[in-house]
Amino acid sequence: MRIQRKIFVVITLSAALMLIIQGLASINAGFGERFAGQMQQLGPVVSACYFVIAAGIVWFAWSWFRTLVGIENLTELVKNGSSPSINYKDNCLVGLNFAINNFLQNNRQEINEANELYRDLKLDVQLSERKKLNTEAIIYSIRDAVVVVDSSDRVAMANDAAGKLFSFDCKNIELRPITELVDVDQKEFIDFLVSARKNKAKATRRELNFASDDGVRTFDCIVSCIHDRKGKVCGAVAVLHDVTREKEIAQMKNDFVSHVSHELKTPLASILAYSEMLNDGEANDEQTKQEFYSVIQTQAKRLNRLIEDILNISRIESGLVKVEKEAVSLTITIQEQLQMIRGYAEEKNIKVISPASIVFDQVYVDKDMISQVVVNLLSNAVKYTRSGGKITIATQVNDADQTVRVSVTDTGVGIPADEVDHVFDKFYRVGANKKQAKGTGLGLNLVKQIVEKVHGGKVFVQSEKDVGSTFGFELPLATREMVESV
Amino acid sequence: MTIKRVLVVDDEIHIVHVVAIKLRNNGYEVLTAENGEQAYEIASVEKPDIIVTDCQMPVMDGLELVKKLRSDEELKNIPVIMLTARSFDIDEDIKQNLNISECLSKPFSPKELLRNIEDVLFSTATNI
Repeated sequence: MRIQRKIFVVITLSAALMLIIQGLASINAGFGERFAGQMQQLGPVVSACYFVIAAGIVWFAWSWFRTLVGIENLTELVKNGSSPSINYKDNCLVGLNFAINNFLQNNRQEINEANELYRDLKLDVQLSERKKLNTEAIIYSIRDAVVVVDSSDRVAMANDAAGKLFSFDCKNIELRPITELVDVDQKEFIDFLVSARKNKAKATRRELNFASDDGVRTFDCIVSCIHDRKGKVCGAVAVLHDVTREKEIAQMKNDFVSHVSHELKTPLASILAYSEMLNDGEANDEQTKQEFYSVIQTQAKRLNRLIEDILNISRIESGLVKVEKEAVSLTITIQEQLQMIRGYAEEKNIKVISPASIVFDQVYVDKDMISQVVVNLLSNAVKYTRSGGKITIATQVNDADQTVRVSVTDTGVGIPADEVDHVFDKFYRVGANKKQAKGTGLGLNLVKQIVEKVHGGKVFVQSEKDVGSTFGFELPLATREMVESV
Repeated sequence: MTIKRVLVVDDEIHIVHVVAIKLRNNGYEVLTAENGEQAYEIASVEKPDIIVTDCQMPVMDGLELVKKLRSDEELKNIPVIMLTARSFDIDEDIKQNLNISECLSKPFSPKELLRNIEDVLFSTATNI
């Protein structure tokens, strides 16, 4: 630019000088020929000035032309963002071009960086979105009810199980206050959740009961506070696990321990009392002594039987039972077992009608186990039938199915309709009949385990309260080959 | 001294039998029943000096029997010793409320039972 300025000054001075000379020449025309000689001497100077002016104008024009082209190129450059391959070596636009290029390059770099950042962020967002969906999918598919509230106790999230439990649409909660979504009946849950959040407790636990279509259900409810990055409580999450079944099992176990300990202690009490009496010389004569010994013996056997029952169930359940199968006639087995309870039935004046023998009623079974099944059914029938009642035992062969069906029908106390389905459950005892007779709730379970699990048969029961019950089982008939191979 | 009469209640016939022998050998008169209902009927008629009863029995259990005795003007003062084979002891409050003199858990010693009966009868006698 400096050169241009100098050239511009030279051209201006040349033009000024030329104008002065021209002026002087015109004045000269007015004042005569006085200075004509001097003016003529200035002729080469004027020519030189013209030359300089002409050359300057051409150079100036060229220079401006190049500047204009440069500006156009720069405009293109700025517009397109691409660098043109123009050499500005001695042009005044070199600096500008350089500055713009620098600026553009910096911009481009920044844009690239921004683009990269944008791509990363987009990936992050996608990743977060996927993580969120995954988390939601996990929470939604949890079988336990999950409810998340914010710091104002509005429901931020709830899964299907929670929706089902509290009867609301879990996909449509829109941050509504928990008091709106959860029923007033379940106020205890709301109070617990809200107080746990306010207390900022890490995790608090409470057992809550909820009324449902199938009775009262118990839930183990754990509420944990949600903390933000600064450690401030920003909400709470409640997880409700249905423990109804566990509680039932725990209750059954307690009942079982209570029953079994009673059953075990009863014969043990006799054994200890009688042996103490013998020791203390309270048996006055030989006959009394013999009687005491005999009681101790029968009670020890009873104790052993009970322990065997418990062990048998446990062995069958764990699959460790030793089964020795042989061809057995069910009618004969029934007759044998009947002898064992006949005395008991006669004591209660109960009439027992036993089955007529069937030509072929052989089953391929473990005889001791099936005898146990039969005696359990028979003794139950006697136990739960009042004095003067009747017990009918029947066997029936079904040729089509190749099965034998044994049924024991009594005229006893019967079972209420809502309890019939449970009588084969372990430790289950019919509430109304507990007082009728003692028991551990193991006998019928053992029957079911032996018939169904060990022999692939089927147990059945039909009962009417105060009319009587029919208990029985079906077993596959033994094939002729099985019988002959024995 | 009059012969004391003891009512022994248990659905386990062997237990009733052994307690009866022990008591008779020691100069008591023994009445027996196999459940609470039967025991209440006998007690109403016989008015025994003391009742020894099992807790878990069919028809009417021991606790129900004691409740029934306590609400009966004529029988409410009869001392009761309870035998129990339950896995837990009878609650102290229930024992107090029903005025059960003693609880013995099964298996029990006939000797100890006799001692308890004597203690209860003796303290009742001194109270009067």
